Amino acid sequence: MKRKTVAFFDFTCCEGCQLQVANFGEELLDILAAIDVVMFREVMSEKSDEYDVAIIEGSITTPHDVERIKEIRETATTVIALGSCASIGGINGMKNSFKLEDVQSYVYGEDGKNYFETIPTMAVHQVVDVDYFVHGCPIYPPEFVKILKYALQGLPYTVKDEAVCVECKLNENECMYEKGLTCLGPITKAGCNSWCINYGNICYGCRGMVKETTKNASIDVIKKYDIPMDWIMGKFDMYNKATESEEKK
Amino acid sequence: MEQYLILFKNDFDDFVERLAKIQKLVAPVKRGSKSFAFDEVTAAEDVSLNYIPTILPPKKYFMPQNETIVEYEKKQNKWEAILYSEAITLFGVHTCDLAGIQCLNLVFSDRPNDVHYIIRKKRILIIGLECNDYCDEYATCGLMDNHNANGGYDLLMTELEDRFVIHVNTVDGEELMGKLAMVKPADAESMTMLNKMRNKKREVFQPEIDIERKELKPLFEESFQAEVWDSIHEKCLSCGNCTNVCPTCYCYDVEDEIDLDFNKGKMVRKWDSCQSRPFAMISGGENFRPERGGRQRHRYMRKFNYPFEKYNRYFCTGCGRCSRTCMAKINLKETIETLIEEKK
Repeated sequence: MKRKTVAFFDFTCCEGCQLQVANFGEELLDILAAIDVVMFREVMSEKSDEYDVAIIEGSITTPHDVERIKEIRETATTVIALGSCASIGGINGMKNSFKLEDVQSYVYGEDGKNYFETIPTMAVHQVVDVDYFVHGCPIYPPEFVKILKYALQGLPYTVKDEAVCVECKLNENECMYEKGLTCLGPITKAGCNSWCINYGNICYGCRGMVKETTKNASIDVIKKYDIPMDWIMGKFDMYNKATESEEKK
Repeated sequence: MEQYLILFKNDFDDFVERLAKIQKLVAPVKRGSKSFAFDEVTAAEDVSLNYIPTILPPKKYFMPQNETIVEYEKKQNKWEAILYSEAITLFGVHTCDLAGIQCLNLVFSDRPNDVHYIIRKKRILIIGLECNDYCDEYATCGLMDNHNANGGYDLLMTELEDRFVIHVNTVDGEELMGKLAMVKPADAESMTMLNKMRNKKREVFQPEIDIERKELKPLFEESFQAEVWDSIHEKCLSCGNCTNVCPTCYCYDVEDEIDLDFNKGKMVRKWDSCQSRPFAMISGGENFRPERGGRQRHRYMRKFNYPFEKYNRYFCTGCGRCSRTCMAKINLKETIETLIEEKK
């Protein structure tokens, strides 16, 4: 089997998900035996305009981003969204809670704002078709490898539409709500093996929401544990603002 | 073989240490402020004798959450079943969980029997721990008649003031006690204490819901259209906690995990939950149970209706884990009480 050429791209992001890939250690050798990396700004100087697989980190936040991602989509046969910014908009989505003008003034100042065009934050799939989603902030390395294998074989991969609670229970963590903390595990998509909770942190919802909306149930839970609604909304908006109004299929 | 032994509490530390030296010893340990879990122990100080049902039931030692069942090499067309077992002493299993293991034994021994499970089970020695009182208000072991042990153990320990009385139920259990060389046959005094406690238990444990056990099956059989499922639909978060913590839920999925050489790989059995939306989804996107109420009803039917038809046994042990873990407060007792009300 001829190795597929793979290129990494970054849009609006911290490049931390690519760093996760660069930091794989020994497993990276197996990955590099399976793919031919032709562009990866964080780890190599070579560049290429031709590639089979485009791995995209970051969200789309400027008109220039839109043009650039469309070009990449036309070149690549397979597009993988890497990390929350690319897969759901992520942290950058917080911008969508404010007026664009206010955001521009805040970031660039009254004088500078006119030099930088901006648009509401979008996840990659809100602009072009995405074939594979690797959620998470940052990505969960074993899931990246798993999805890469599916992509290289051309098999469809569906992120399981179940809550982080499922994996958390199997790991036998004490429930954060029992500890008096607020956790987004019950409404966040699993696949990270409840990574944060295993290490004593709460779930921040970085992987996006499960498809089934359970608004009434969620309100009941919030009441049961006596949690102020704006706490939950604040946590929700941290990662999920850009995709909150998406039709959930 | 059947006999009663006696172990004084002063010797308990020594007892646990000796058990741990023989083979891997697993017992309830504290996990966080209000939770417990079965985990490996080496000393008595690790063990929580006074515990409410653990987050996951001991079924995780019989059917692990992730279990490699096949390894393969595609090019060589080589397939190998992976049968793995480990000698374990499971210590401190409450009577509700003994019943849970008995249910799983029925399912996995049923044809075609599950070799992976059966091989594992053969090497697990079970030391039960009788409950003298309720663990908390979620339990319905009185109704399900699991507050007393109905078999399913090698040894059963009952705590009585300054001592434990140990009932020896199997040859394996007898041999283990022989190896420890520290327990003596129970004397008349201990047996009187045991009987006294058992008599007291008859008053302590009462059916928690006002229904005869045999009426549960017809109640659920006739409840398919009940309104309670609609209200549960509104409440349920579909997080799957209730099924994952259930001692008798055994549904699983098998995932194919291939190596990066795209030749070698393995098939891994993983717990699955009928509460998650994709569980009953088939190709084309059709879903047999798209509604959360329907999925919850299915869960209840799998405890109180279907297994009764197949195995003549309820698959609810009364451990209360599903109600205890439910963030949305879906409570088994309340569900049954509502069904009784609706039927009137």
